Amino acid sequence: MKYKSELCGYCGACVSVCPVNILELNDWRLEIQPLCENCGRCIIVCPVGALEEADHEI
Amino acid sequence: MKYDVIVVGGRVSGSVSSLFASKNDVDVLMVEKQQEIGVPVQCAGGVSDSFFKTMDLKPLQEYYSRIEGATLHAPDGGQVSTRNKISHGYILERKLFDKNLAIQSAEAGTDIMLKTPVKDLIMENGQVKGVVVRHQGKLMEISADVVIAADGVESQVAKMAGLNTHFEPYDLCSCAQYEMVGLDIDPAMIEFYFGQKIAPGGYVWVFPKGNTRANVGIGIRNIPNGSNKNNGNTQNTGNNGNNGYDKSKNAHHYLQKFISKLGGTPVEFNVGAVPVSGPVEKTYTDGLLVVGDAAGQVDPLTGGGIHVSASCAKIAGTIAAEAVKKEDSSAKFLKKYEDIWNKKKKIGHNLKRSLKYRRMFDKLDDQEISDLIKVVQGQELESVSKLTLLKMTKEYPQLFKLLRNIL
Repeated sequence: MKYKSELCGYCGACVSVCPVNILELNDWRLEIQPLCENCGRCIIVCPVGALEEADHEI
Repeated sequence: MKYDVIVVGGRVSGSVSSLFASKNDVDVLMVEKQQEIGVPVQCAGGVSDSFFKTMDLKPLQEYYSRIEGATLHAPDGGQVSTRNKISHGYILERKLFDKNLAIQSAEAGTDIMLKTPVKDLIMENGQVKGVVVRHQGKLMEISADVVIAADGVESQVAKMAGLNTHFEPYDLCSCAQYEMVGLDIDPAMIEFYFGQKIAPGGYVWVFPKGNTRANVGIGIRNIPNGSNKNNGNTQNTGNNGNNGYDKSKNAHHYLQKFISKLGGTPVEFNVGAVPVSGPVEKTYTDGLLVVGDAAGQVDPLTGGGIHVSASCAKIAGTIAAEAVKKEDSSAKFLKKYEDIWNKKKKIGHNLKRSLKYRRMFDKLDDQEISDLIKVVQGQELESVSKLTLLKMTKEYPQLFKLLRNIL
């Protein structure tokens, strides 16, 4: 999952649906642990499109 | 460090919990991860008159505007208005309201730590015994007899204690809102707009805040596979419904579209997520209670949560203090909290009924919503009797099934 911090509104929607609890929202930043399973739940609930699927070209 | 009760989160649920625990003469600490209470705003701020009665609070002029009616707008442009007492209420200036609640709690004796996220729980033999926080760059253990998780929709604290407070995407309404100035609105009327093209799975709201100012916001919900099935089903289906999801059509996208025809200019932007699948299965465990958005204590039909959360938080704070005094913070004792909010106060029953209505509403297409509003159009809603509605369904037979379920 790719995070565009410039679009983020810090609402925590992504944190609440993450099944592996790798997201943490503190003050004005979203911290992401490197164990994302690319399930896409956070992408669906983000109200501002700040999250995208990771590139798969490699 | 040791407290009797630690409340995690300093919004409505947190401040009300800590206020009522402190009022019952126990030592209370409230930890808030943000550096300022009430920011960022994640709410439209609407509450009904009954809220202030339940909470025994006086609405202060600085943080509210008065509402005396509501208008519903159908997808086809039809509309219906009501000035029924049920629609009377206030639009709160949440930043000021939240901070004022925290101030009231502090004045009742609550200690508050800001910029202090909870990183872990202290557990002993399966019982919650306190929290591990990060404060000024250092990890710190703080013990407590009871921890109240009021940490919002993104709650991790209840999960750490083993409660299932996980939400799936279709459990949530994704919301975006502009506070705008220069709008052509009636400052005493709240407005709602419905339609798949306007707000799929939700609605747009216009909540006046005095003169030409209003919160204009939207909540949308992604329904798996584009159908209306499985709404509110909290089971993990394995398929997260991401197939064919177009992320460019997010809440903000629809909101931009809506405000493009309004005129006016924004002075604030907010985003948020609202749990609309009813309360979580269990709201207590050994040494811990969960309240508010974290517990799904939100009306699933309207998405309104202030009054529900505050009522439950008042109970949580009171029961936590009782547990401290009786030196019993076992799940067996704390179950009392759930018994009261869920059964005795019938909040659980009301939320379930509301969820049933929301599921029915989910099944309506734009035409049916328009027809429903047409049926009552031009009349004051309170004057529409059940019999009138049933007679009118002859004209709109597809509504019969819906009304039969409601009436």
